[in-house]
Amino acid sequence: MRAGVAPRPIVRGPALTRAALVLGGGGAMLFVALIAGIGLGSVAIAPDDVLRVLGHRLLGIGATAGVGDSIETIVLDLRLPRVLGAMLVGAGLACAGTVFQAVLRNPLADPYIIGTAAGASLGATIGIVLPLLLPGLAIGAGSAWLGLGIVQGLAFVGGVGAVLLVLTIARSGGRLPSVTLLLTGYAVSSLLAAGVALLMVASGRALAAIFSWLMGSLAAVGWVDLVIAAPVVFGVFFLLLARWRTLNLLLLGDGPAAHLGLDVGREKLGLTLLATLVTSAAVAISGTIGFVGLVVPHLVRLAVGPDHRLLLPASAVFGASLLVTADLGARLAGGIPVGVVTAFVGAPFFLWLLRRSRRVSESLS
Amino acid sequence: MTHRLSVPIVLLLLLLAACAPSPSSSTAAPPSSQPSSVAAAFPLTLTDDVGREVTLEAEPQRIVSLAPSNTEIVCAIDACDRLVGVTDFDDYPADVVEVDKVVTMAQVDVEAVVATEPDLVLAAGNELTPTAVIEQLADLGVPVMVLYPQSLDDVSASIELVGMAVGRHGEAAALVGEMATRVGAVEEAVADLERPRTFYEVSVFEGTIYTAGERSFLASLIETAGGEPVTGDALSTSIELEELVAADPELILLGDATYDPTITPETVAQRQGWETMTAVDDGRVVVVSEDVVITRPGPRIVDGLEALARAIHPDAFAAAP
Repeated sequence: MRAGVAPRPIVRGPALTRAALVLGGGGAMLFVALIAGIGLGSVAIAPDDVLRVLGHRLLGIGATAGVGDSIETIVLDLRLPRVLGAMLVGAGLACAGTVFQAVLRNPLADPYIIGTAAGASLGATIGIVLPLLLPGLAIGAGSAWLGLGIVQGLAFVGGVGAVLLVLTIARSGGRLPSVTLLLTGYAVSSLLAAGVALLMVASGRALAAIFSWLMGSLAAVGWVDLVIAAPVVFGVFFLLLARWRTLNLLLLGDGPAAHLGLDVGREKLGLTLLATLVTSAAVAISGTIGFVGLVVPHLVRLAVGPDHRLLLPASAVFGASLLVTADLGARLAGGIPVGVVTAFVGAPFFLWLLRRSRRVSESLS
Repeated sequence: MTHRLSVPIVLLLLLLAACAPSPSSSTAAPPSSQPSSVAAAFPLTLTDDVGREVTLEAEPQRIVSLAPSNTEIVCAIDACDRLVGVTDFDDYPADVVEVDKVVTMAQVDVEAVVATEPDLVLAAGNELTPTAVIEQLADLGVPVMVLYPQSLDDVSASIELVGMAVGRHGEAAALVGEMATRVGAVEEAVADLERPRTFYEVSVFEGTIYTAGERSFLASLIETAGGEPVTGDALSTSIELEELVAADPELILLGDATYDPTITPETVAQRQGWETMTAVDDGRVVVVSEDVVITRPGPRIVDGLEALARAIHPDAFAAAP
C-alpha cells in the first residue's frame, strides 16, 4: 500500500533483508570462529586468561598480572596473527574465486586456474632451495626484504608474473577470449609445475619445507605479513566491489555484455589483474590452500544469488570464517596442513551440494 | 695407547677451560674452573653455525632442543636437566623421553615451544628445522641457535659452541678432547691400509637409491674411516643404479638394515643389476647396525666413525681391543 511512496519497494525490501541476514549471519560465524581460533590450540590456555590478555593489550582494560609471558606471546604473537591471517587469506581467495568464475564464466574456475598457484609455487620453491645452493643468502644474511622473507617475496612475484605471462600470450587484438585464457593458463601452469617438480627432486632436506608450502600453512604468519598483505586484500576487495555491475554483465557472456556497452576485453583484463593481485598476496603468506576459492563462491551464490553486490562481500565473510575454522581444525589435529582440512571438509560438502541442487552447476551457465 | 694420549690432552683442555670465564655451577668440573666473576660472561653474544648472532642475557636454564643430535650434545656436557622441550625422535640418553615433546611428526609446534618459556632454543640446519620456524621464534625474541655440523670438526665446534652458550666450557672441552683422541686413533689405524670403494646404503625407496651425497658429512666420515666413498648427488643424495654399477663398489654397507630386517646381504645379492658389483661377488656386503650414531651429528658420531672403520677394515680392528 506504500508502493506509491517509496520507489521500487518490492525489490528493495526483501533483498535488503536477505543481505542483512546473510552478512549478519556470516559476521556472527566469523566472530565465533575468531574467538575459537584464539582460544584453542595445541597449548591449553584458560579462556579467562585469553580474555585478560586481549582486554589488556588491545583495549587497555584490566591487567595481565598472574598471566605468564609465554601465554601473552602465544595469544598475541602466534594465535592472533594466525587467525587474522586465515581471515585475510580466506576472504581474499573467496573473492578471487568469485571473480574468476564470473570472468571465465566457468564453474570450475578457482583463484589458481590461470597460473597464480603454479607461478607462486615456483617462486616459493626457488626461495626455499636458493639459500641451500648459495649459502650467502641463508638466514641472517639478507633473506629478509622489507621484513618479508625471500620465500614470500618470490611467491608473490611468481604468482603475478605467471598471470602476466599468460595474459600476454592469450591476448589478441584487445580481446581476451575465456577459452584461450583457460588453455593458456593450463599450459603455462604445467610448464611452471614441471619446474617445481624438478626443484623438488633436487631439493634434498628442503623437500619437506616445499611440500608443506604446497599444502598450505598459516603457522608462520606474523604481524609483518599482515601489515603487508592486509592493504592489498582490503584495497582489491573494494576495487572489485566497485565493479559489481561489470561482473554481473559478464555473466551474460562476452557478446551480450559488449552489446550493453561494456569494453569486455579491458574489463576482463582489469578484473583478472585485481584477482591475481589478491590471490598472490594471500598465497605469499599461506602457501597454496585449495578449495576455499572454489567452494565458497558456489555456496554463497546458492544463498544470495548471483548479484555480485552481495555475492562479493558475503563470499569474503564466509571465506574468512571457513579458513579460520579449517586452520583451527588443522592445529587441533596435530599440525596437519590446512589445505588437507579444506579439501577433506570442502570436497564432500561440495559433492553433497551438487547432488542436492543442480543450481550450483547451472548458476553460471 | 688411546688412553695414554688422552690424559694429557684432557688435562691441557681443562687447564685452558679453567682460564676462560665460566659462570657454570657445575659439579662435574674441577673447582678451579669456577668463575671469579659471573657478570663477565653474560650477556654473551655468540655466532651460530649459519652465521646468526645470538645474545644470551643470562646462563640458559630452560633449553629446548629441536633435533636429537642437539639433545645429545646438551646431555653430554652435563646440562640434560635443563632440557624443557625435545622431539618425539629423541631416544638418547634414555631420560630425555620423559621431557615434553615440542616437535612431533617432524613438525615444530611453535606454540608448545613458547609455552616451555625457553631461554635457549637449539635448532638444526639444512631445513631440518624449517627456516620459517627459526625466523618466527627469533622474531618472538626467543634466542635461537642453529647447529649445522657438516664434518667431524664441525661437531666438535658445535659442542664447544653449546658449551659456551650454557656455561659448560669445561665439560665441552673435555668431551671434544676425548673425541679428538678417538678420531686420531682411527685415523692412525687406517692410515696405511687399502681404501676400498665403499657404498653406504642410507635407504632404497621405490627404486631410488639414497647414499652419502657428494662432499657430505657421511662421505667425509667414510673417508676418515679408511674407505673411498661412492657418493650420490650433493643435494638429493641419491645415485642412479647405472652410476652405482659403474662405480663398482668393493664394499657395501647396509645402514638401512638397522631399521628393516628384510635388508640382508642375501636380499641385496638378489636385486637386479647388483650381482655384477665386486662387493656382491666377493661377499663384502655388510650389515651396519649403528646407522643412528653414524647419521646423527652429535657426540656419539665417534661411535659411528669407529663402527664404520670396523666395518671397512675388520682386520685392523680385530687385533685391537
